[in-house]
Amino acid sequence: MKRILIFVLWLVLLTGCERQPEKKQIDIFAMDTYMSLTVYDENGDALLQQASERITELEQIFSVTQPDSDTSRINAHAGKPVEICGDMAVVMEKGLKIGAESNGALDITIYPLLQAWGFTTDALHVPDADTIAALLPYVDYTQVQLDGNTVTIPENVMIDLGALVKGYTSDAVIGLFRENGVTSAIVSLGGNVQALGRKPDGSLWTVGVVDPFSPSENMCTLQIENQAVITSGNYERYFEEDGKRYWHILDRTDGFPADNGLVSVTVVGDSGLTCDALSTALFVEGTEKAVNHWRQTGGFEMICVTDDGRILLTEGLKDSFLSLSDMPVEVITHE
Amino acid sequence: MNKKLLAVMMIVSVIFTVSLILVILQMKAPDKRIAEVLQDGTVLYTIDLNSAENQTIRIDAKSGSYNIITIENGEIYISDAGCPDHICMKTGILKSENVPIVCLPNKLVIRFR
Repeated sequence: MKRILIFVLWLVLLTGCERQPEKKQIDIFAMDTYMSLTVYDENGDALLQQASERITELEQIFSVTQPDSDTSRINAHAGKPVEICGDMAVVMEKGLKIGAESNGALDITIYPLLQAWGFTTDALHVPDADTIAALLPYVDYTQVQLDGNTVTIPENVMIDLGALVKGYTSDAVIGLFRENGVTSAIVSLGGNVQALGRKPDGSLWTVGVVDPFSPSENMCTLQIENQAVITSGNYERYFEEDGKRYWHILDRTDGFPADNGLVSVTVVGDSGLTCDALSTALFVEGTEKAVNHWRQTGGFEMICVTDDGRILLTEGLKDSFLSLSDMPVEVITHE
Repeated sequence: MNKKLLAVMMIVSVIFTVSLILVILQMKAPDKRIAEVLQDGTVLYTIDLNSAENQTIRIDAKSGSYNIITIENGEIYISDAGCPDHICMKTGILKSENVPIVCLPNKLVIRFR
């Protein structure tokens, strides 16, 4: 009798009190943004510390302002070959690849234009036409030569991987967690979210997507696992001059903020790096080209918001999408 | 043996019923709206918005700058700030779990817990 009782009690304890790993969270200010990392693991505190150190390391590699970063060394030695680290090579290769895939909608040499607009210094203003015209010839990603770990750029060209770094960083952090046996984690790098596995209770993560017309609210939620959800929008960094809004995502065809029908693009996929690069590329491409891009390359899903207030949703997200706004939703199919 | 089995079954059913009630109670617990105010990653205040009284809180940054947080009728927002861009003020009321109010220059964050 006693034995049976103990056995039953043990069984009850085992099932009823299944232990969920404790939630550990860290908040970091890095790469000019606010990051929040959450991990469900016994070893959470140590892993978050490691993740934080890795973020600092990546910031030092990619920074455009720190003089000893790989980016700064390339820009300071235009015309000469520069040795770069593995992280830099991976991100640059992706930048050039998505650049080619989008016909330069993503261009990692856009930096001189960003400077002219003051987006790098907060001295925001519309540059005069001559300034833009003088810089445009130097904005051309095809002039960047990447050969293994050696980069050469022509004089007057500058590179900046800002459009890809946060995505690469969330990949790195999630990868670090995965290598250490974590099965449940979620990170947000300035609103760009990437998840590892599912929630500790086995359900999918619910991720909100910001309403570009009202950026303190969500326009929808998505249910995800093991995926990144990364958005580029015209509400993220902008200024107004003479009643007109100018945002930080520039179009290399005219040197002005990309204004091709979209106000935000959210990309959902397995790789934070790819999603980050694509979100910028698709935003610049605009409505029609973005839809074609998705149809031709695939491998990701997207939510586009048009400047006339419509949501375009690729069919792979149909089931996980929950609308929270009154914008009409059109599902994009593979034709 | 029969008696033993009966006893075991009774114990099991009692435990089952109790845990069922506990689970239901847990699921029915009202949504708590707890906001956290963090400076450089450290939690300074934890505020239950459902019960918090209307008030303003001044938070000084190391740089000498500041943010004024206002709690009003169960809502929280930054009403004044010494930062140059005022993005934290423009964010308005804290509404969503994934859109925290962030003041980058002052490393201040208000978010739902």
